[in-house]
Amino acid sequence: MSSVEFRKDLFREERDDNLQEIGKPTRRQDILGHVTGRSPYYDDHLFDGLLHMRCVRSPHHHARIRSIDTGAAERMPGVIRVILARDVPNNLNTLLSLINFGKDEEKLIQDTKVAYVGEPVAAIIAETDRQARDACAAVKVDYEVLPHVLDPEEALSPQAPVVNEVYPNNTFDYHDLYDHQKLRFGDVDKGFAEADHIVEGEYQMSPIEQAPIETCGAIAAPETNDRYVCYTSTQALFFSLGTTAKLLDMPSSRLHFIGGTVGGGFGGKVDSIVEPLSVLGAVLAGRPVKFMWDRTEEMQVGAPRGAERWRIKDGVARDGRILARAFTGFFDAGAYTRLSSYAIIKCSAHLPGPYTIPNVAANVFCVFTNRTPATAMRGFGITGVDFAIECHMDKVAEAVGLNPIELRILNAYRDGDMKPHRRLAKNTALIECCQVAAQKSGWSIGAEAARQSSLLGGGGPRAEIPETVTDMAGQIGERRRSVIPTAPGEGASARGNVPAGTQGIPIVAAAPQDEDMIMDPSRTGYRGPSSTPTRIPEAAIATDTRPQAAAPASPPPPAARPGPVAPSGSSQVLQPALQPALSPPAPQASPEPPATAPQPPAPDAASQPYKPEKPFSRGVNRPGVSRFLSGSRRR
Amino acid sequence: MVTITTVDTLQEAAASSGQGSSLLGGGTLLMRGVNYGDQDVSRIVRLRQPTPLAGISSEGERIRLGAFATMATIMKSGDTAFLHPVARAVGGPAIRNMATVGGNIFAPHPYGDFAVALLVLDARLRMSDGSEMDLDRLLPVRDTETRLVESVSALRPAGDDFRFLKVTRVKPRGASVLSIAAWLPRRAGRVSGARVAFGAMAPTPVRVPEVEAALEGVNLDQNGIERALQSVANNLNPPDDSLASGWYRKAVAPVHLGRLLLGQGTR
Repeated sequence: MSSVEFRKDLFREERDDNLQEIGKPTRRQDILGHVTGRSPYYDDHLFDGLLHMRCVRSPHHHARIRSIDTGAAERMPGVIRVILARDVPNNLNTLLSLINFGKDEEKLIQDTKVAYVGEPVAAIIAETDRQARDACAAVKVDYEVLPHVLDPEEALSPQAPVVNEVYPNNTFDYHDLYDHQKLRFGDVDKGFAEADHIVEGEYQMSPIEQAPIETCGAIAAPETNDRYVCYTSTQALFFSLGTTAKLLDMPSSRLHFIGGTVGGGFGGKVDSIVEPLSVLGAVLAGRPVKFMWDRTEEMQVGAPRGAERWRIKDGVARDGRILARAFTGFFDAGAYTRLSSYAIIKCSAHLPGPYTIPNVAANVFCVFTNRTPATAMRGFGITGVDFAIECHMDKVAEAVGLNPIELRILNAYRDGDMKPHRRLAKNTALIECCQVAAQKSGWSIGAEAARQSSLLGGGGPRAEIPETVTDMAGQIGERRRSVIPTAPGEGASARGNVPAGTQGIPIVAAAPQDEDMIMDPSRTGYRGPSSTPTRIPEAAIATDTRPQAAAPASPPPPAARPGPVAPSGSSQVLQPALQPALSPPAPQASPEPPATAPQPPAPDAASQPYKPEKPFSRGVNRPGVSRFLSGSRRR
Repeated sequence: MVTITTVDTLQEAAASSGQGSSLLGGGTLLMRGVNYGDQDVSRIVRLRQPTPLAGISSEGERIRLGAFATMATIMKSGDTAFLHPVARAVGGPAIRNMATVGGNIFAPHPYGDFAVALLVLDARLRMSDGSEMDLDRLLPVRDTETRLVESVSALRPAGDDFRFLKVTRVKPRGASVLSIAAWLPRRAGRVSGARVAFGAMAPTPVRVPEVEAALEGVNLDQNGIERALQSVANNLNPPDDSLASGWYRKAVAPVHLGRLLLGQGTR
């Protein structure tokens, strides 16, 4: 019998209760293969004449490469080919370039400088794994060891060594403007002034390796018609395909990627490192090539969930209401971006956790250090800060002398409340979760807390967006010139205000990188969000008597391409990142128009062949049709 | 390329050993190394029939363990009851089924907990050339020793004179943060001729003469052992690894030694 209990009574108004699967024992569709040992993994595919690839890796955190001598390795028995940076056709990439987020900054194989222990500087293909290892050991690399930085806050110091030359400030550039992601909602300083208690805390978590049983790997082989087949352990097949096509400067139509059974992923098999290398090996050797990390590599160079450090400052009223909460967060991205920049966008939309707090501010930094690049892992961007928030809630409860569960219920968000990223909360359920947790654990809560419901008491004034204080502290490069504080609002020379009720400025979604990535409305039935790529109307800026600067410059759409229609996925990624309206350092009498902002091309009726009557909603409600069919099958 | 040589006797195995050669015992460490491309292994020497070297026999106040005796065999034998907790601390059932006494003596840090126990039991090794050698003389030179171990003879302790503790992060099968073995013979309640050895606190299992000296003539109570606990950190320089830093090992070693000496938390 299932031990899961479903409290259907709590949300009976909201939910269709004709559940066919949930709450009932069900058999995973792949479990029979797993328990009988018949599930085929990438390494179960056998090829005649299979070659093996291994990497020569940096022993240093940070070092310039003076020279690489592969002569001895090339002469060793069984060695077929030594691959260096010059053999990679397009040797610069960033994982999220597929959605045009961030700059290309990571080489598949390094030739100038290594920035973390284990960074590859050469790859060797040999007849056997052992021969490849022996040849790797025979490669002589002359390194000039450079000073390194391993702590994110030390990396922000003006004296810190530059980890990643594409981001010379050791921080990811947000919206081409700031060295961190800002979130502003209301006025935290006002909230702190009104508070009876100020509660501060610092929380930190270390990197976590996903530790799959099957280490990352891929087998690539020449196929007919000048194509290459690649069997891979990836958990992001089309990411790996796109990344390989880009790095190898090869049309994706020449790549036949086969995924399927992943021997444990948890986010650690997204980064698409092994696939481009194995396909490159197959191209250069003309034979099947396997590139498989061993356990040591998986631990050393497999990108983990990154380390995070959080400082939280709360202003709390005597009765336990949290009036203001300020976050300063540092994500240790390691030497290259991978998915850390995106984790911070997710994180900023999540703050201040599942609570309704009238004044919230956050500065979240994506910092480059000489550590293994960090990437995705289960709820990344959220998990670390939630750990910090919930530890801090207990600290607040102690400071005001309240039952910690009652404190959570008192501050919990409710359906209809406005979140700081300007979205209304729905299906909140934290209150019910607290009540059930208290009941199950025998933790007593008061009658008042037990009466609360997340369905009641939300919305109304709690749905309003307050007047919001903004600042321009921490622009790109500023921190490199002098030490400036990292906490929200501190060190700001000028402040601005966004009037109450203002939704903020939507960020123009990145234009598709390639023409074949442009959404075809005739296939999807959706033209893209109507607000894309709109900006806050000039009229709205003009009505505010306070001076407002131009909206932050957004990536202009490529000139030669048709009017960009943002993929809805990337729009979702970027939307939560609220950009505050900005004040110029010296207040001017008249507002300036957003001179730098590119105006979107006027909608052309001819370019909109299909206009659905209703906006696209996920799935269909046609009887007898799966809700999750999409595209042409959906029609 | 790894080559395999099969021989009939330990003497032949010793004669054919050389640079890059390894004798296959239970294979729990060697084969993992081979599978992960350990470049120190280029030749594996295996015995056609290792069973004659896997026996356990009683020799008066001593017990003799064949080098090929496995942890599982030790746990099944009534003669080695005092070693059951030590053998049980090595790996999981699959490892214990294969791991041998001889292999444990050569197991690199942080492995080799069984050898820690043997150290305090005055272990004497019979080598492949017929000579005898004390275990504490072999351990410092084990990486360059070309003779092979045929069997080990160890003292059989009385009562609770022998104690063993393995400290791990993962329970019950983790590798050692550290392990401690102590042989504490007593006269009129006072310790006389104590032997104390640590695993994972140095490149090889080691005895700590300063701790042994500090225990001489004391009662096993908090006051009596105080000086011994203080001398632990001064005389060991443990390595860093992924399980624990040397600093951490040094910091917790006196705590665990104290528990062992006071009879708390032994197993």
